[in-house]
Amino acid sequence: MKRVLLIALVLFTLTALAGYMGSLYNWNNNSNSFKYAIVAAEIGYKENLAVDMAWRDTGKMIKEAKKLYKSGKNVAAIILANKAHQQTVNATLQTILAKTAGPRF
Amino acid sequence: MKKIITTMVCLSFLVRVTLADVKFDQKAFINHFKTIFPSVELADYTDGVYMIDQDSREQFEEILDGIPPYEEAVEDGGKEYFKFGLNKCIALKDPVAARIQHPYFNEVTQQVVTLETAIKNCYQIQTGNNLSYNKGRIARISAWISDQAAGQKINVKVESFGAKAAYEKGKIFFYAKRGQFNMSCADCHVYNAGRKARADILSPALGHTTHIPMYRVKWTGMGTLHRRYSSCLKNMRADPLKAQTEALRNMEFFHQAMSNGLKITADRYRK
Repeated sequence: MKRVLLIALVLFTLTALAGYMGSLYNWNNNSNSFKYAIVAAEIGYKENLAVDMAWRDTGKMIKEAKKLYKSGKNVAAIILANKAHQQTVNATLQTILAKTAGPRF
Repeated sequence: MKKIITTMVCLSFLVRVTLADVKFDQKAFINHFKTIFPSVELADYTDGVYMIDQDSREQFEEILDGIPPYEEAVEDGGKEYFKFGLNKCIALKDPVAARIQHPYFNEVTQQVVTLETAIKNCYQIQTGNNLSYNKGRIARISAWISDQAAGQKINVKVESFGAKAAYEKGKIFFYAKRGQFNMSCADCHVYNAGRKARADILSPALGHTTHIPMYRVKWTGMGTLHRRYSSCLKNMRADPLKAQTEALRNMEFFHQAMSNGLKITADRYRK
């Protein structure tokens, strides 16, 4: 029980710290953040497509994020790229669960 | 560690494949629908939602009593079948047999062959032109072929090891949750069949394949089963796979097998 509480406390501290650091950082001028996010989204999307488990709007979001980045709207581009990446993560989770899919009756 | 996991996954897949039993699956499938709709006869599942909702049924019968909006398209399909020499291909020579024999598992290519893939292949051989899979000519021809087999029973055979593997993949695709809404085909058309999704009643998956290709009011025209699959996937916010991709052909194999024994119908009107 103690160990669980300790892990939860550490996780909570790390999350809070990450959020605080994130708010201090000037994302607007960081092209690397966008590049990391978009590459992660693209890799995930390709993997999802390969197993027929991609989501409908992920591709559009990636395209839109690139457009935003080109037009200088870096913050919006990073947010969208991260959303696209999150979609690919969720789709990957669905892929894992799909392996054991079957009727519930 | 990796090797162990791979071996375990392979072994579990092999076990699933060997266990694939269509009759067993279908019995459970039918029993589930019997529980939801105890008063509906098995044969009536060919009418889809129209066997559940009385108002929709009356509207359906009214449309069928008049001139159904798909009648001309089906007639054109018959003309096109002969015009483009589809009767010269062995697979389509006898339209009744063609409808009943498809989908089947081709042991040489180790792939499921659907009626639409057979039509497209034959059309390409005879005319040298391409044919799209979702609507238009292919749907008209396929509907005419299916009309010739009206009254015959669906009889999908899943016998070989390869066929069972394809069937099992199709079954997994049908029951797996996908897309942003985290839904499976079964969520709507098995577990919630008969309930409403917005203004529409969800149709039962049992009997779905008895009236394909269908005329849909929403489409204001004919469409193949795979066109319907794609639009369902879109609604689930999943990537709408291209018609006749391996995944969708496998699912059709499973989907049709679940309606084995049900009569093919020429009443192809749907909302």
